[in-house]
Amino acid sequence: MEEILRMEHITKQFGSVYANRDINLEVRRGEVHTLLGENGAGKSTLMNVLFGLYQPTSGKIYLNGVPVKITSPAEAVKKGIGMVHQHFMLVEAMTVFENIILGDQRTKGIFIDKDARRKEILELADRYGLEVELDKPITDIAVGAQQRVEILKALYRGAELLVLDEPTAALTDIEVEGLFAIIEKLKSENKSIIFISHKMREVLKISDRITVLRAGQTVCTVACSDTDGAGLANLMMGRELTPSHYEKIEHPGDPVMALTNLSYQKTFKHSGLNDVTMQVGRGEIVGIAGVDGNGQSQLAQIVTGVLTPDEGEVDLKGSKIARFTPNGFILENVSHIPEDRNKMGLIGNMSVQDNLVLKSTEQPQFSDGHGFHLKKKAIHSYALAMQEKYDIRCESVEQEARNLSGGNQQKVILARELEGKPDLLVAVHPTRGLDIGATRYVHDAMIEARGRGCGVLLISADFDEVLEISDRIIVMFEGQIMGVYSGKNPPIQEISLAMAGK
Amino acid sequence: MKIKKNLMSVLVPLASVLLAFVIGAIIISALGGSPTQAVAYLFQGAFGTPNNLASTLVKATPLIFTGLCACFAYRCGVFNLGGEGQFIMGSIATCWVSTTWGIEGAGATVLCLLFGALAGGIWGAIPGILKITRGLNEMIVSIMLNYVATLFMGLLYTSLLREGNVPQTAAVPDATQLQRIVPGLRVTWGIVIALAVAAVVQYFLFSTSKGFQLRAVGLNMTASRFNGFDVKKYILFSFVISGAIAGLGGSVELLGTQYRLISGYAVGYGFDGVAMALIAQLNPLATVVVAYFFAVLRTGANTMQAGAGVPTSVIDIIQALVIVLAVAGFALVKLPQIRQWLTNRTGNKKEGK
Amino acid sequence: MDIGELILSTVRMATPILLVALAELYSERAGLVNIGLDGIMSFGALSGFMVCFITGSPILGIVAGACGGILVNMIYAYCTISLCAEQIVYGMAINIFAPAVASFIYRIYFGVSSTLAQGTLMKTAAVPVLKDIPFLGKLLFDQTPMVYFAYLMVIFTAVFFNKTKKGLNYKAVGEYPKAAETLGINVVRQKYVACIICGALAGIGGAYLTTCYVNTYSDGVVAGRGFIALSAVIFGRWSSGGVLLACLLFGFCDALQLRLQILSTSTPYQLFQMIPYVCTLVALAMFGIKKAGPKANGKPYLREER
Repeated sequence: MEEILRMEHITKQFGSVYANRDINLEVRRGEVHTLLGENGAGKSTLMNVLFGLYQPTSGKIYLNGVPVKITSPAEAVKKGIGMVHQHFMLVEAMTVFENIILGDQRTKGIFIDKDARRKEILELADRYGLEVELDKPITDIAVGAQQRVEILKALYRGAELLVLDEPTAALTDIEVEGLFAIIEKLKSENKSIIFISHKMREVLKISDRITVLRAGQTVCTVACSDTDGAGLANLMMGRELTPSHYEKIEHPGDPVMALTNLSYQKTFKHSGLNDVTMQVGRGEIVGIAGVDGNGQSQLAQIVTGVLTPDEGEVDLKGSKIARFTPNGFILENVSHIPEDRNKMGLIGNMSVQDNLVLKSTEQPQFSDGHGFHLKKKAIHSYALAMQEKYDIRCESVEQEARNLSGGNQQKVILARELEGKPDLLVAVHPTRGLDIGATRYVHDAMIEARGRGCGVLLISADFDEVLEISDRIIVMFEGQIMGVYSGKNPPIQEISLAMAGK
Repeated sequence: MKIKKNLMSVLVPLASVLLAFVIGAIIISALGGSPTQAVAYLFQGAFGTPNNLASTLVKATPLIFTGLCACFAYRCGVFNLGGEGQFIMGSIATCWVSTTWGIEGAGATVLCLLFGALAGGIWGAIPGILKITRGLNEMIVSIMLNYVATLFMGLLYTSLLREGNVPQTAAVPDATQLQRIVPGLRVTWGIVIALAVAAVVQYFLFSTSKGFQLRAVGLNMTASRFNGFDVKKYILFSFVISGAIAGLGGSVELLGTQYRLISGYAVGYGFDGVAMALIAQLNPLATVVVAYFFAVLRTGANTMQAGAGVPTSVIDIIQALVIVLAVAGFALVKLPQIRQWLTNRTGNKKEGK
Repeated sequence: MDIGELILSTVRMATPILLVALAELYSERAGLVNIGLDGIMSFGALSGFMVCFITGSPILGIVAGACGGILVNMIYAYCTISLCAEQIVYGMAINIFAPAVASFIYRIYFGVSSTLAQGTLMKTAAVPVLKDIPFLGKLLFDQTPMVYFAYLMVIFTAVFFNKTKKGLNYKAVGEYPKAAETLGINVVRQKYVACIICGALAGIGGAYLTTCYVNTYSDGVVAGRGFIALSAVIFGRWSSGGVLLACLLFGFCDALQLRLQILSTSTPYQLFQMIPYVCTLVALAMFGIKKAGPKANGKPYLREER
C-alpha cells in the first residue's frame, strides 16, 4: 500500500511545554490507522497540526509524498483532509442537507440548486453506506446520525484522509457497529482513516496499524495483528509501578458518602450514570479512574448538589439527601474542587481575598451580625495567612483572581475548600494544568485532609495521579462502575483494561 | 495592580470628557460662537452664584437616583432599563398619597417616600419575576413598562387627578413638601436623601455579605451557583431594590422639586441613569459624581445659551459623546492586545508560579 | 368603525415597525443583538426629513435615512465586532447618542420654535389594475411605495435566508461562528455586512416616520418602536414571515387605539395608547421563550489564535 500521509519529526511547543516532541506518523492509503494514548498524550495537538489549526514548531508534513504547509482548516480541506471533531461542528438549527452544503464554494449561482445537490449527496451516502435523512434538523437526529453527517460533510468536500477524533465516545453499541461498517466501506473505496481512541476493544477490532503516543512522543507503531489488549495497555500506560510517596490506608472509617443505585440520564453513555453504587469512608481517598466523558462530571456534580439524580439514593454521613442544592451540601460540610476552576470555582473578576472567603462571609470571624458588616481587616489578614500557608504566589491578595497562574488559582480554591475542615472533599481534575511542584502540593494537602478524617473523592483523568494517592481505585466506563481495586499494589494492567472498557 | 486598574477607570472617563469637550468646542466654533466664552458661561451657570450651585444640586438629585438604580441592577448582571417607569410610578404613588389621602405634614412626607419606593419596587419586580420564571428578556419588558407608566401618568394628569383647566395634577401640599435646607436656596433635603441612598448602596454592596454575594452573581453566575448562592433570589432582589431606588427618586422629585405631575415630567431620567452608571463603572459613589457632572452640564447649558448664544443641544451632544467615548474606551482598554501593550509599557511582570 | 380604514391604518402603522424589525432580524441572524434601534431610527428620521425638506423629494429622504442609519450603526459595529464591547451596553449608548445628535442637528437648522417644519409627504402610488380589485385593491395596492418596499423586503428576506447559499452561510455565523469559520466563511466580514443592512433598514424605518407617516420631525417621533420591533423579532421566531405577522399585530394595535380614541371620547385616550405596549408584553409573556433564536446571538466573537 502506498503512503498517503507522513508526518516527520513533528514538534509542537507551547512556551516551554512540549505537546508533541519528535513525532513520526505514517499512514497508508486505504488503511485504518489508530492513534492510541491517554489524555494529554498529544493526540489532539498532532491532529490540530495536521488540520492547520496549529503550526508545528518543527517538522514536515508530506501528502502523497509531496511536502505541504497547512496553514488553516480551509487549506487542509482543500488538500483532501477531513476532520470529524469530537465535538461536532454542526449547526443545530439547520437540517442535515444545509449543514453538508454550508460554506461550499465550488458550485456556481446564487440559489441553492437543491435537486442537484441532493442527488450528489445521496449518491455519496449510498456509496459509503451512510444513512442520512437530509431534511431533518440536527437537533432531531441521534448522535450516531450526526456523526454520519460529519463524515458525509468531509467526503462531500473531497476528503481522501479522514480523521475521526474519539468517534465512539458518544455512541451506543449499535451505533458503533454502524460506524465500523461505514469505515469498512470507506476502506474499500480506498479512503484512509486516522482513528483516535482510548477504547481498547474497538481499537483492536477496527485498526490495521496502531501508533501509540505517550507524553507527547511516539512510543511505537505496531500492526494490530501483532498485539493484544494487554500489550497495548502496557505501551499506552507504560509504567511500572513506582512506589507512591504516600502510605495507603486499608481500613477506612465509616462511610461519609454512600451512593446506592444512582442513575442520571441513564441512556447517555457519554454523560450519564447507570446504576452506580459506591462509598467513600472517613479518612480514605477513593480515586475514580477513567477517561474524561464517562460520567465523572455528572457524578461530581450530583455529590455536590449541583445536579439532581434521576434514580437512586445519596447518603451523607448516614442520612439520605432529599433536596439537591449546592448550598445544602455546603452546609453538610462537603467541599468541592470543580473541574473548571474559572467557570465553576472562582469569580475571576473578584480579588484573591474575596475568593478565599467566598462561602464564608456570614461567619462571625468575618462579619458582624451574620453578614451585616464585613470585617475587612479580618478578611485581609486571613487572606494573608492563607497566602502564606498555601504558598499562593501573587503580587497581592487584592489582585483579581483571573490574573493568577493556573497553579495558584488552584491553590486559592484549595485554601477555600480545605480550611473549613470538610467531611467530604470532592476533587475533580485538581491538578490539571499544574506543574510538578504545585501538583505535589495539592496531593500533600489532600493526604493531610485524609489524615484528619476527611473522606476524599478524587476524579481524575491523570492515571498517575489516581495511582499516586488513592487508597481505593474505582474505574468508571460509560457511566458504570467496572471494578473496585485496592490502591496498595494496584493491578495496573487490569485497571487499564477496565478503563478501556474491557 | 490595583492602582493601575483604578487609574484606568478614572482615565478613560476623563479622556472621554476631554475629547467630548474638544469636539463640542469645534462644533461651537463652527456655529460661530466662542468656545472659551461658552465654557465660561457654562461654569458660571453651574457654580457662579449660590443659587446656581443649588440648582445644580437639585438637577443632580433625580439623576443620582436613576443612576443608582441602574448601577445596583447591573451589579447583579441584570439590565434594568425600566428606571424611568419605576421613577414615575414612585411619583404617581406619592401624588396619590399626598393629594388624595387628606393627610399633610411630615408624617405624610414619610409615608409618601415609603409608598414611592414601594411602587417602584413593585414595578421593578414585574420584569424580575418574568425573567426568573419564564426567562423573558428583561430589557424589553422593562422598557414596555416605561411607556405604560408614562401613559398612566398622562392619564392621571389629564383626567383622573386633574386639577383645573391645565393638564396637571394638584400640587403636593406645602406641609408635605420636602423642606429647603438653606432658606432662600432651592436645594431641599432631597439631595441629602439621594446621598444617603448612595451611601447605603455603597455600604450594602461592599460591606455586607449579601451585597458581596450579589456582586458575585453578577460577575459569574455559574461559579456563584456552585458555591451555594441562590442566583434567582438575588436576581429578583436586585430588580426590586433597584426599582425601589428609582421609585424613591420619583417621590423625592415630586415632593421636593416639581410638586405636580405634568407633561414632560421626568423625561429621559431613566436612560440617563443607565448611561451614568456605565460611565461610573457601576461604582455607586462614582455614579454620584457623574450625575453631578451631568447636572453641571445641564444647568450651565441654559446660561451658556443665554450668554454666549450657543444652543443647549450642544450640551446634549457633549453628553452623548462622553457616553459613547467612555464605553468604547473601556472596551478598548480591555482588549487583549491593548492589555499586553500596557503591561509591557509599565513593566509589570506576572507573578511567578 | 370602518374595517377597511382600520386595515389601511394597520398597514400604514405596521410598516415602520416592520422595516426596523427586519433590520434587527438581519442583525441577530449574524449574532448581533442591537438594542440601539430607537437611536438609529431617530437619526434616520432626521436625515430623511432634512433631505426631504431641502430637496422636496421623499424618495431622496428615504435614501438619506438609510445612509444616516448605516453611519450610526457603524459605530456600534466597530465597537461590538472589533472591540468586542458588550452589545447591550453599546446599543444603549447608541440610544442615547443618536437621538441627541438628531435633535441637535434639527435645532441648528430649524431653530427652536413651537411650530414644526413641514416637509413633503410621500404620495401613495397605486398599482394600476390591481388597485381596482374590490376591497383588497385599495388595501394592498394603493399605498405609499414604502409599504410595497417593506413587503418586498419580507419576501426577499425569506428567499435570501431560505434559498440562497449566501443566506445559509449568513445564518451559520449567528448560530455557530466557530463552525462557520472552519468552513471558510469570513465571520467578521459577515457581521459587518449585517450591521450595514441593519443600519440601512432601521434608518429607512425612521425616515418613513417623517416622510410617509407624517411630514414633520419631533423628538419623540420614534416612541419606542425600536423596542417593539425587538419583540417582534422574538415573537416572530426570527423568520421574516413571523415578523411580518407580529408587526401587523402591533400595527393593528396602534391603529385600533387611534380609532378607539376618536370613538370613545369618555375614556381617557392614554388607556388606548397603552394597548400596543401591553400587547407586546402579553405577546412576549406567552410566546417569548428564552431559548429560541440564533444560538450564538449576543456573544462576542473572538478569532482564535494560530
